[in-house]
Amino acid sequence: MIHFDNVTKVYKTQNRPALQHVNVAIEKGEFLFLVGPSGSGKSTFLRLILKEERPSQGHVHVAGKDLSRISNWKVPHLRRRIGCVFQDFRLLPNKNVFENVAFALEVIGKPRRFIQKVVPEVIDLVGLEGKQHRMPDELSGGEQQRVAIARAFVNRPMILLADEPTGNIDPATSIGIMKVLDRINRTGTTVVMATHDAAIVDAFRKRVVELEDGRVVRDQSRGVYGQAY
Amino acid sequence: MRAQFVFQEIWIGLRRNLTMTISLVITVAIAMALFGTGLLIRGQVNASKDYWSDKIEVSVFLCAKTSSNQQCQKKDATQPQKDEINKLLKQMPQVADVHYESRADAWKRFKDRFASQPGFVNSTREGDIPDSFRIRLKNPQEYKAVTQALLGRAGVDQVINEQEILKRFFSILNGLQVAALLIALFQVVAAVLLVGNTVRLSAFNRRRETGIMRLVGASNTYIQMPFILEGAIAGLIGGLFSSVLLVMSKTFLIDRLAGDIQFASQLGWGTVIWVIIVSICFGVLLCAAASFLTLRRYLRI
Repeated sequence: MIHFDNVTKVYKTQNRPALQHVNVAIEKGEFLFLVGPSGSGKSTFLRLILKEERPSQGHVHVAGKDLSRISNWKVPHLRRRIGCVFQDFRLLPNKNVFENVAFALEVIGKPRRFIQKVVPEVIDLVGLEGKQHRMPDELSGGEQQRVAIARAFVNRPMILLADEPTGNIDPATSIGIMKVLDRINRTGTTVVMATHDAAIVDAFRKRVVELEDGRVVRDQSRGVYGQAY
Repeated sequence: MRAQFVFQEIWIGLRRNLTMTISLVITVAIAMALFGTGLLIRGQVNASKDYWSDKIEVSVFLCAKTSSNQQCQKKDATQPQKDEINKLLKQMPQVADVHYESRADAWKRFKDRFASQPGFVNSTREGDIPDSFRIRLKNPQEYKAVTQALLGRAGVDQVINEQEILKRFFSILNGLQVAALLIALFQVVAAVLLVGNTVRLSAFNRRRETGIMRLVGASNTYIQMPFILEGAIAGLIGGLFSSVLLVMSKTFLIDRLAGDIQFASQLGWGTVIWVIIVSICFGVLLCAAASFLTLRRYLRI
């Protein structure tokens, strides 16, 4: 599903590469934790999958396609098949839960009837039954992140990228978020989650890829966060 | 693409920076009104030139009792004098056609021409316009030779080259046209910069929305469309205001000016409508293009 083929990324303003010679293959339906300290290249890894950045060397393949061969005007179609969740939720404060989730479908031109049908299903899936008409500021952090997950998943992407989704949430609530991500993973969606949260990684026992200074230092199925931290 | 969604976004965008939008509308209205006025004046000049091109004459007014020219000695030109002038004119190689117009004919023509202004006609009497020879030249540029040959000859009061009168009128109109277009140009520059600022503010205000749109894979057109339409709508409203200003400039400026100089051809409303359509289209395109160009700088897609 996602292949990093000897990928190196150097940002123009920095001498030190953000990623160096990274080779990672992620299969369809996998759940992968991307761990490592800040600045180790986790976010760059995710941005490369979205074609927000392009590699300085090497190739990134997503769903069998070499991203360097996808023309710019087709990038939106790539992104429709990839859902994204962030630490800071990125909800629209002036729209309620339903509207926030529906926004993702409206802007890709889905018909209204389809939206009316699909959005409530996804809101139920993330465990926000009956909260469709709440505004984001009336929700807890955990609930807001569920809305963000619903928005990322509503178009049934092949891949869900989560950049520290539990970073702003207390540990007890984080477990709930992880259960939602796990449920999404069970529908066959590939999930890549960058995180600092050792407890969660240790508890879930999924594949772990550890980055340090832009290099893959560990790639382990059913791994833990690591003793060093 | 869902129209309702796009229009909702545009409405929000326009309302959020209302003051910017208002100043943009005013600037575009003035720019387009001046641009259109320039076009109208050009239309007037062209229409008049066409009208006059086959009518330009050199008029040789003959002496009359009332003329103030010393040489006439307060006497009418005699028949022998007239015959001599006629013969001379017919011999001149520059002259294409000569015809004699008696004061009665001239009076009749004058009355016809200014039939719409009875006050003007009433204050004039038959005989105020003296007998004359109306000369058409083969080449209107060669009027000097004719004028020189005639001036000072017995029975000739004055020689008037109508082209000179028209030239003065056209130079006024041309000056106005250049001034209008020049100011319009400055206004267009201001409008483009204002569109740039409006779009920048708008893009900043909506960076959250556009960020999410990008993330969930909205197409570039879909992301840019509200901004471009925002500019285009402001341009359209400005254009509509400018059409009001253009109607005013037709009635209060051009018609009045043409009236003052007793100018024959009046600019038709058809031309005005055409100019209005051109101005509105130009305003809309200008704003849309300016939005599009600034978007490339301020909206990452």
